Amino acid sequence: MVFLFSVNFPERRMVKKALQSFFGIGPNVSARLLAKHHLHDTCRVGELANTQILEINATLTEMKIENDLRRQVLGNIARLRDTGTYRGKRHAMGLPVRGQRTKNQTITAWKLNKIDRKL
Amino acid sequence: MLIRPSPALFKRSVWKGPNLLPITFPAQMPPPPGTPPIKTRARSATILPNFLGLRFAVHNGKIYEDVFITEDMIGRKLGEFVLTRKNPNRRNYKPKPPGGK
Repeated sequence: MVFLFSVNFPERRMVKKALQSFFGIGPNVSARLLAKHHLHDTCRVGELANTQILEINATLTEMKIENDLRRQVLGNIARLRDTGTYRGKRHAMGLPVRGQRTKNQTITAWKLNKIDRKL
Repeated sequence: MLIRPSPALFKRSVWKGPNLLPITFPAQMPPPPGTPPIKTRARSATILPNFLGLRFAVHNGKIYEDVFITEDMIGRKLGEFVLTRKNPNRRNYKPKPPGGK
């Protein structure tokens, strides 16, 4: 078991996938992180040296990921709502925000568009 | 780590500047209490810093609705704060009787 950013990962897990499990890190960012720390694509968590783990942790703490990022996204939506803009009102109504049509299905909008959006 | 162009740059070409439309301001700034709101149809006018604290009556296609300009609204458009459509309430929806208007 290896701790990355205070999360336990099994040693067989690929570093690429382990990084992607954080909110705010996708395939692109995780590939860039690997390149930054001179790791190959199929590197496993167990192969990491202690210094490398510390370095990765240091970069992760600098980045805006997980709860900080969630709070930022929710704050942006709440700010739109508080100013009383059209976009904020559409979020509150659970309807498409960017001018999509509402004659037929708006399933994605009413799943996602809320004031406290599930992230 | 990732540098992306600021989303603010995608909104509008910088060389155009803000959308300035002719709006008649009150003679006295700040307007004394009791001044009627500025009646306007310029929904696409950008809200400038000198609009701060003014009261506008913005056309929604049918009537003029009051908007009080606060600090957060600067940089947005007047029309963003006045809805042009009714909120369709499907729960209380009753179909019109046939043969009506």
